[in-house]
Amino acid sequence: MRRLLALLLLQAFGVGLVHAKEQLIEVVVAEPYLEMHSGPGRGFPVVYVVGRDEIVTVLYSRTDWFKVRAPRGQEGWARRSDLALTKLTSGEPAPIPPYPDFATHRWELGAGYGVFNHQNLVTAWGDFGLTDSLDVEFVLQQALGTIDNRYIASVGMRHTFIPEWRWFSPTAGIGTGYQYIDDKVPPKPLQTSNQLAYVSLGARGFITRRFMWRADWRKYVVFTNQNQNEEPEEWKFGLAVFF
Amino acid sequence: MEIRLSSVLLAATLLSGCGWFHRGEKAPAQIVAEEPQGEPSIIEPQVNRRAVKTPKIKAKDFELGGYFGALSIQDFGTNPVYGVRAAYHVSEDIFLEGFLGRSRAGKSSLEDVFPNITVVSDTGRRFTYYDLDVGYNVLPGEIFLGRGRAFNSALYVTVGMGDVKFADKDQFALNFGMGERLLITDWLAMHLDVRDHVFETALTGRTKNVHNIEATLGLTVFY
Repeated sequence: MRRLLALLLLQAFGVGLVHAKEQLIEVVVAEPYLEMHSGPGRGFPVVYVVGRDEIVTVLYSRTDWFKVRAPRGQEGWARRSDLALTKLTSGEPAPIPPYPDFATHRWELGAGYGVFNHQNLVTAWGDFGLTDSLDVEFVLQQALGTIDNRYIASVGMRHTFIPEWRWFSPTAGIGTGYQYIDDKVPPKPLQTSNQLAYVSLGARGFITRRFMWRADWRKYVVFTNQNQNEEPEEWKFGLAVFF
Repeated sequence: MEIRLSSVLLAATLLSGCGWFHRGEKAPAQIVAEEPQGEPSIIEPQVNRRAVKTPKIKAKDFELGGYFGALSIQDFGTNPVYGVRAAYHVSEDIFLEGFLGRSRAGKSSLEDVFPNITVVSDTGRRFTYYDLDVGYNVLPGEIFLGRGRAFNSALYVTVGMGDVKFADKDQFALNFGMGERLLITDWLAMHLDVRDHVFETALTGRTKNVHNIEATLGLTVFY
């Protein structure tokens, strides 16, 4: 029973042994040598060196480092830029996956801080690029105030004016969504959930590798059943990862 | 002799001239007639092109796990806390992290002294939070255990924000943390963290910022 449990645990955690059958890439060192560090970072010492024309197996990657196995079984971490200089056994360059291109990336996931109608705002978003300059954004937000907390879910379209500008590229968008009000202080709001629509202006920029920032200003129209609609404003800033 | 030579030259010129004039004109009938019909002129290879598929290198940039520890809720004593965490490593220095944790507050000193007073209702004693953080590995290195064993480790700092639900109210909270990640193997890590959740509350009379410091021990898996 205990053995079975241990096996199940091993399975659940996806230990390397379980995946022994999967195909791995083998590359030939083309430079005079390839350094292997003890960990995936520049601070970790070089613990082994593989010579020219020797074959190393690439196991997996973590950020900019690749875990490799030397011909005699030693394992260590090789720098991305070093591994890019190796070749496949067929002579082609090693298939190191390139970084996603910032201007043409497809997916984006991010989170940030903002202010919604003088309330603190926590925001998280997912973005899907239909074209380089047009994307669909899905946003989940929580505005935390002294009188109430609001939960806002919205979906919209956003246009990036000049996507190839890396450091600062303006954006504009429109969208719709729902807000739910969780009141903290009486009296109860007349409506606890409303539909809303927004227009937005913003900007985005590249930071490093697959990392970027985004800033946004939004003007909402909250549709109420009273004589006047609410028109709150919001701004936010966040960090995102793109794929 | 001369005449014969010149006539040969003339004939040659004429012939070459004929060749010149025929240039560009098609005489396909003749050419086709030379080759047997229906047979291909080039040998077609019978080998199918092999689709060479290079396997992809798996990226293991995500970290997922849980933690357990003690949370000191300001004015409400120190209590056990547990939660889950998930991180994405952007580069060897930067990572994005999310936490979801839970604890339960004890009694405040006021309630201890005056047992009839209730500051927070029974259901309100639940302390739940989520955090969205950005972290930076400040001191990567190795930890040595005895003479023959070294573990990769990193000291990191995190800063972020989130929500704390306490006393039946959600509050915006900032949080600051510091931790040590020790990699037992390349896919299993142990974390020692100290984090402070700061938020504004008026629970004990006047409005003030409260610091809720937690110390936790966690285990995460890279995948």
